[in-house]
Amino acid sequence: MKTKKQSNVIWILIFLAPAIALFSLFFIYPIGMVVGTSLTDWRNSVGMNFIGLENYIKFFQNANFRTALGNNIIWALSLGIFQIGMATAMACILARRPKGWTVYRTVYFLPSVISGAALSMMWKAIYNAQHGVLNAFLNTIGLSDLAHNWLGEMETALPAVIISQIFYIGYFMVIILASRVGIDDNYYEAAMIDGANVWQQERFITLPLLKPILITTVTLALAYGLRHFEATYLMTTGGPNHATETMGTFLYTKLKASKWAEANAIGTIIIITGGLAISGIRSLLSRNMDVE
Amino acid sequence: MKKLALVFALVALTMAMVFAGGSAETAAEKEIEIKFVTWWVGADTKAGAIQELVDEFNANHVGKIKVTIEGTADADGLANSISTQIAAGNPPDVFCWGPTVAGFENYDGNLFMDFTEDLKGEWSECFADGILDQATYHGMTKSLPYDMAYTPIWYNTNILKEAGVEKLPETMDEFWDMCDKVKAAGYYPTAQMTGGNNAWTSMLWYTFLCGSIGGPAIFDNFEQEFPTNPVFVQAAEILQRMYLEYTHNDAIGGDAGVAGGYYLAGKTAAFINGPWYIGRVKNEAPEVFEATEMGFFPTINNEKIMVCSTLTNLAAANQKDPAKRAAVIEFLKWLTTAENAKKVAESSGAVLAVKFDASGNDNRLTAQVNDIINGSKGFVNYWQFYVAADMQLEFGQALAAMGAGKITPAEFVAQISSLF
Repeated sequence: MKTKKQSNVIWILIFLAPAIALFSLFFIYPIGMVVGTSLTDWRNSVGMNFIGLENYIKFFQNANFRTALGNNIIWALSLGIFQIGMATAMACILARRPKGWTVYRTVYFLPSVISGAALSMMWKAIYNAQHGVLNAFLNTIGLSDLAHNWLGEMETALPAVIISQIFYIGYFMVIILASRVGIDDNYYEAAMIDGANVWQQERFITLPLLKPILITTVTLALAYGLRHFEATYLMTTGGPNHATETMGTFLYTKLKASKWAEANAIGTIIIITGGLAISGIRSLLSRNMDVE
Repeated sequence: MKKLALVFALVALTMAMVFAGGSAETAAEKEIEIKFVTWWVGADTKAGAIQELVDEFNANHVGKIKVTIEGTADADGLANSISTQIAAGNPPDVFCWGPTVAGFENYDGNLFMDFTEDLKGEWSECFADGILDQATYHGMTKSLPYDMAYTPIWYNTNILKEAGVEKLPETMDEFWDMCDKVKAAGYYPTAQMTGGNNAWTSMLWYTFLCGSIGGPAIFDNFEQEFPTNPVFVQAAEILQRMYLEYTHNDAIGGDAGVAGGYYLAGKTAAFINGPWYIGRVKNEAPEVFEATEMGFFPTINNEKIMVCSTLTNLAAANQKDPAKRAAVIEFLKWLTTAENAKKVAESSGAVLAVKFDASGNDNRLTAQVNDIINGSKGFVNYWQFYVAADMQLEFGQALAAMGAGKITPAEFVAQISSLF
């Protein structure tokens, strides 16, 4: 005779079954497929043979792939530190409702609803060495020595692509702003009475209370940085000479070559580095959160 | 209870109607549907003619065969999509396919329709002499050459006249002399690019250089010889000189829009592209069109070398159903008749692998291209034909470094060879 506890377990399994089935179908199976085929020599429509870790060894011996990995880390740090930093600063300013704050909020958010492809093409035109607005501006103000082939020189290409993306803070800004306006004004009034200036209020009240949302936004920014593809592919195709290469563009190149196993090996590396980096950063930032 | 009975009755009635309809359909002769996935759609210059041919084919086969065009004019994107479908074991019924040596591995599988036996009849006579060999691998012809890439050198004679250049350069010495004079006149001697998926224009310059130095057979043992044959380094040295001295400063990182843009804007004396670009020059830059003369690549060791590749082949999914296979063959035969090829070629300016009577074509530049093809003393397939897509991209990456003087021509060759 079934006990009540056994009966509950059966019902739990029955109710979980659809979710487990869907999760397995759309998450476990594809990842298993990616990891499994990355250990083969699958390319074109030719059958596959097991080759162990050969694809992985090849990539880590490839200087261009190591550059791509490094660039992804630069992207992740740039977005996680600078973009979130700027978004936080702007959210704190707008939360104090300066004159025209709603206009600023809209203006900063607007690029988030514009296609990334369109923005990338716009920046490509801005950076054009011959006809671009940036060089024209530098020439006009007498700084023609600073004019560059921004996307064509190995020294300037990566910073140029990152800068073209980093100032689009609107998406993160509205998330942080929503959390910031939820902080009780009484904290600030009490701090003012105690003589705290604006900087001290933001430093000792706002930032600690925003910590949970900052962890979330930093995690999102890191994830974006580690899987970055779109702007780089559209603006430089990973060039010149791999200076802006990312794991995403590297993967896409292998897909184009119908080298499916190699592409899946890169996909696996992206999954692993992403998982490690995000869990590491969350663990680091979450430390002592309960105490505070 | 009555309501429940009514619902059951309705469901039973519906199912009976569905099954009755289904059996009626199977009884009648079923129309064969063929999906033709192509990048000759939208703004592509062949789109109109191809759509007309498909419409005409459908009109001639009402109730028997229906061809539907699917695709996008973004050839690179669509090629990726088709590759993915092939990898998934489900290629489209009929599709455009950019052949490369690496891609021919697909012939070894069982996914592509094999035309070898079909081409033993009179169908093979539709194609230009010897061209089917370019689509044959391991004795099998599983795709049909269609759109050809003959790419002569385009010269803007207005710039040449202004620079004091009397005739098109025939040797490299004359070419460098032209470059110096054009540069002194304030123009860019050549249009180049390292960007895009294959650094197209510069890849063609490099192909010509390899062919003119090493001869028509230079690519015959490509994988074995590319890393070691000094011809490829010599060709790279000349290309590097063009980059360092004779091109625009945004060539590194520039794409086809940049290289082509300089020619369309009348700022570049020499440019390379295929005849499909004639229509664009005619429409967007009539003055440049009037000033353009097509020429041979300057002779280094081998004269009148011409780049000739099959740009797009027609391929089809292998069919188990004999009726559908026959329908696909019928459609492909329709596309490759001389009369229909002429319609496509004349409306787009393209050069096709299908033979037809080209007389009566009033496009001056198209006629010049045909003269050059007929006067060529050797053909080379373009460089990118011999490599997979990742190596095509590597060409542009390494060229960016070499063009900026960061690596030597020998290092350029070595960097590309590292992907073998």
